[in-house]
Amino acid sequence: MSAVSDHPILDPALAPPFPVAALPVLRNVQLRKNVAHAIDVIQAKRARLVAEKTDWQELRTAAAAIKDETLANLPAYLEQFEERCTTAGGQVHWAADAAEARRIVLEILREEKADEVIKIKTMTSAEIQLNPFLEDAGIRAHETDLAEIILQLGQGEPSHIVVPALHVNRSQVREIFARAMGIKDLSDDPKALTAAARNYLRKKFLTVPTAISGANFLVAETGGVAVVESEGNGRMCLTLPRTMITLAGIEKIVPRFADLEVMLQMLARSATGERMSPYTSLWTGVTPGDGPERFHVVLLDNGRSSILANKTERQTLRCIRCAACMNTCPVYRQTGGHAYGSVYPGPIGAILTPQLQELKHAQSLPFASSLCGACYEVCPVKINIPEILIDLRAKVTDQERRTAGKFTDPMYLGLRVANLIFSRAWMFHCAQRMARIGLRVFTRRDGWIHALPSVGAKWTQTRDLRGLPKQTFHEWWEKTGNKRTRESGIEEVEAR
Amino acid sequence: MSASASRESVLKRIRASLAGSSAARARFAESARRNSAAELRAGTEVLLEIPRDYARKGEMTLAERCARFVERLREYDAEVVECAPDGLAAAIAAQLKASGRRTFVAPSGLPAEWLASGFEWMIDGNLEVRDVERADGVVTACFCGVAESGTIVLHHGPAEGRRVISLLPDWHLCVVRAGQVVETLPEYFDRCQMSGIRGQKNREQQADELPRLVTWIAGPSATADIEMTRIKGVHGPRFLNVILVQD
Repeated sequence: MSAVSDHPILDPALAPPFPVAALPVLRNVQLRKNVAHAIDVIQAKRARLVAEKTDWQELRTAAAAIKDETLANLPAYLEQFEERCTTAGGQVHWAADAAEARRIVLEILREEKADEVIKIKTMTSAEIQLNPFLEDAGIRAHETDLAEIILQLGQGEPSHIVVPALHVNRSQVREIFARAMGIKDLSDDPKALTAAARNYLRKKFLTVPTAISGANFLVAETGGVAVVESEGNGRMCLTLPRTMITLAGIEKIVPRFADLEVMLQMLARSATGERMSPYTSLWTGVTPGDGPERFHVVLLDNGRSSILANKTERQTLRCIRCAACMNTCPVYRQTGGHAYGSVYPGPIGAILTPQLQELKHAQSLPFASSLCGACYEVCPVKINIPEILIDLRAKVTDQERRTAGKFTDPMYLGLRVANLIFSRAWMFHCAQRMARIGLRVFTRRDGWIHALPSVGAKWTQTRDLRGLPKQTFHEWWEKTGNKRTRESGIEEVEAR
Repeated sequence: MSASASRESVLKRIRASLAGSSAARARFAESARRNSAAELRAGTEVLLEIPRDYARKGEMTLAERCARFVERLREYDAEVVECAPDGLAAAIAAQLKASGRRTFVAPSGLPAEWLASGFEWMIDGNLEVRDVERADGVVTACFCGVAESGTIVLHHGPAEGRRVISLLPDWHLCVVRAGQVVETLPEYFDRCQMSGIRGQKNREQQADELPRLVTWIAGPSATADIEMTRIKGVHGPRFLNVILVQD
């Protein structure tokens, strides 16, 4: 049960830095096993289905271009979406930040006199921490996606954006369901667990008159909204209630209806390794006789507009939340999602979270990567995540340099000294000689340094350091190479 | 903040961010001029053309297309049978009988000859949700089938029915005509545009004729949320049956 009850903090303003948050996970063998298993399954399916698309690279190029064009003209497309959606009977609201979005949703729910609401999985609502806010206001939010129910009933936190409960295994799910649903003899067969969730939710779907969803795509041309899902809980929420509220980030826009022909081919393949998800729904405003009578869209900024300013960082907003980057990431594989201290984990979280926080929080995340580039390779919208990580690292470093600690922090002092030494050859040679003498004591017979004292221990705690060679290249060159060249000067001339 | 003030402030912030970066891009373009034409293009503000070099048109014959469609549907655990146009009514009756179910919902525009006798039919005009919930199954037509992904597309017209009727019943029988099957997803989108455009119209009128409601169905409802084990049937219909009419 520890996987769920440890209670990770996913509010970037309160979460501990990544290296600290990662430690308990690294010690949790069960959780790492659960994460690795889930990822292996998705990765295998995804690899097979992406390989079958011979035009995958062309699709990526088109998808990236569609998103770039959208972002470069975002105000126009947002206004077009607003106009078309309103004409079709929807009501569009704009929220500058999380607090405003929460307030808008609450006001609508109050108007509906709602004391409960059913929800389709939406990362945006997790981002603005909507559920606890509604709870405080006396409104019960019922998650309806299987993974989200597991987390809600088990009071856990999401650790992945597509399969949020991938860190919980079947026996843990059984325990949660048996307790929360009061079922005594529940087996841990996923089939039985799924059936239990179906029964638990059926009545809610048929009786709760208000629903909240996220959006995968907003179509500017028609004012339509698209949601991609597997279980049918989405269709229930989109079809049965009287009032429907969709919460969507401003970057979810695609300009034209036909742009979905690219996006829908990529999303499911990239996310879950399916050709298409079982259900993709698109609706436009309100349709008399079919579905909700009232429809609201809340367009959320919450830090997104500031990401547009820099062209490199702007790529972040191309993201279609497929999670391929976290599934392929060697760091995520070891730490799972909770260590990222945000509802957006993995490589995309490492660039998105600090930017949404305008670098006031989550500064450790851009460093939570080996820059291996696997995330960039799989990204269906070609976000160059390593490039953005490096950019953000520079920004974080600049920020730290401006703080008072810069004269006492050993790393900054060290780098300043290094800067000086590297700028003059004689100092560099001198430092090399000194380091060689200094490190000789610590170098074992096998040529490796296994432990260093004080600051150096930070390095040797987790890895060994190669001892310095007896002579540098320069020294060797002076002694042998250079001499030989001089002797064979004639050959050298001929060779030219 | 009042509603319209928030709207203005969000739009203003987006515009400010985009304007700021135009200046940066102008500088980039300047330096790129000294480098390569390719880099200059990369620095251009708006990409006017979206490079659409992906497969738009399929290359299969009708028979191949249908075979692929059936194969992909079966991979999703959908049950598929094929029939000739004059055998459709019989095929529907056989499917209904084999399902062991009694009460079926039919959309108002479903052809009368599809309503096999010996079963209880609820014709949807404005059925109450609790009545739809009571039904054992539903029979609908569709707008299109996409072979490559084994997808059935509903536009919720008169013969496809309101969204709720193909959602609540546990068993969905969908009739697809071979002529409705396209090979690629872009070909489906082409069909949407074509069904809309009659004569010369401006973009806004075209947009008006694009479908307002679409449900793409790729197999019965499913989940893999517990240990990535695929379980068929969560909230949507647990059974998807398809009759492909070779017309």
